Amino acid sequence: MSFNLFAAEEQAVEQARALGERLKEVAPDCVAGFEALIESFQRSIREQRRLLRVSDRLQAQLGTANQELERRRREAETALVELREAQRAMLQAEKLASLGALVAGVAHEINTPVGIAVSCASHLADATGRLKTMSESGGISRGDFARYLATAADTSDLILANCERAAQLIAGFKQVAVDRASSERRRINLGAYIHETLVSLQPKLRPAGHGVSVSCPAELELDSYPGALSQILSNLVMNALTHAFAEGQPGGMAIDAAPVGGDMVRLIFRDDGRGMTDEHRNRVFEPFFTTRRGQGGSGLGLHIVHNLVVGVLKGSITVDSAPDRGTAFTLLFPRCTPDDPAPPAEAPVNPPA
Amino acid sequence: MDTLTIAATGRTPGVAFDFPAGQLRLTGESYPDDVATFFGPIFTALRDYLAVPGHTPIRFDMELLYFNSSSAKALMNIFQMLEAVAKAGRPVAVVWSHEEGDESMRELGEDFAEDLRHVAFSLREVPIGGIG
Ligand SMILES: Nc1ncnc2c1ncn2[C@@H]1O[C@H](COP(=O)(O)OP(=O)(O)O)[C@@H](O)[C@H]1O
Ligand SMILES: [Mg+2]
Repeated sequence: MSFNLFAAEEQAVEQARALGERLKEVAPDCVAGFEALIESFQRSIREQRRLLRVSDRLQAQLGTANQELERRRREAETALVELREAQRAMLQAEKLASLGALVAGVAHEINTPVGIAVSCASHLADATGRLKTMSESGGISRGDFARYLATAADTSDLILANCERAAQLIAGFKQVAVDRASSERRRINLGAYIHETLVSLQPKLRPAGHGVSVSCPAELELDSYPGALSQILSNLVMNALTHAFAEGQPGGMAIDAAPVGGDMVRLIFRDDGRGMTDEHRNRVFEPFFTTRRGQGGSGLGLHIVHNLVVGVLKGSITVDSAPDRGTAFTLLFPRCTPDDPAPPAEAPVNPPA
Repeated sequence: MDTLTIAATGRTPGVAFDFPAGQLRLTGESYPDDVATFFGPIFTALRDYLAVPGHTPIRFDMELLYFNSSSAKALMNIFQMLEAVAKAGRPVAVVWSHEEGDESMRELGEDFAEDLRHVAFSLREVPIGGIG
């Protein structure tokens, strides 16, 4: 026997029918009304069955919808984790790329003095070789010797000067590179540091004839994170080169730094390039905002700059720009970077009233 | 009253009753906050319409995709009213639409047809998203 949810109702109908049979004898005029009553009771049972089906269907739909919701929630969570990972990887890649550019800059800059030193040395070696041959054949004239001396003096001066230049460049780069990689805090002379950073950018600036003027009080010292500062400057310069100036047209940039009220420094980076619209200006610090998507733009440069100014230098950055009016970034940060605040202490216990 | 037209909202169905043409149609979803408030005027209009004897065939299109239990009961009441006029001799057709592959909605339609003896009942399968 199969299970019947409505067994009791059906039994009641059976009983009512039996009652109807007896009613035929005792009250025949009630039979029609009674049968209509049974009929409507039966219909009501059928409706009840349908309503159960409707409500079961709704429950099932709700269950499916909940599962779907849960699945989507999990999908969204996974997507978020993947997105964060991708963002982290892109930031890392951007950092490495700018470190790579720095190294390329170093190699390029050092190439010149080293190249000069090498050719002078080989010139000197040639001259020395010739003198040696003459001396072996016993025929060095006074004039030969005087010429050799002049050559040796000139070339060794050049070799010395260029080697010194190379050593100086290496020292500067080493510091910038170490700072960039280590994010260590130390005291620096701001003007000198700006110059060292710009040297590493020379290979990008020189060919197009771009110029960067720097104005900074010679004695302005910072106790801060030079790696962050150099990364900020190089991102700003690189942006000006890619976004502000038309291809093949030399542009002008200026860095102005000055103390403000004893404790703070204001550093303004300006270019006289094409500037940007209000709409773009409002979004430049957004991660992944770029007007060069698909052409090497990651949209992370200024986002990184913003994070470094706010997060590392504990300062602020604003941008001012208009189409064809150039762009100016103004950084305001403490000369001596405050330590990160200690983790918040336990909430104070309410003092007794 | 010639027609009764109520635009669908998120919770209440679209109603398009063209009484002179005998074309009655419910579309969308039905889980009103208050069934009595929503279906009350519909029942009044339908009752008034059916009370006047006529010979125009009536066609009722049930195109609800989703309805709650109270709306289901309201539907059964409407079907009962239609069955009564059909029994009295007026041609009445009910077309129950369900989306392709929605077996449970099709079965519900068959269940709802159980009490229709004089109404011509038919099922109509429509492509997903094709109702409305
Ligand atoms: N100096 C500038 N002049 C004009 N537009 C700029 C300048 N610097 C940045 N921008 C605009 O801001 C956008 C975001 O810059 P950034 O975050 O460095 O990303 P990216 O350089 O990868 O495009 C650039 O795509 C560009 O539209
Ligand atoms: Mg950039």
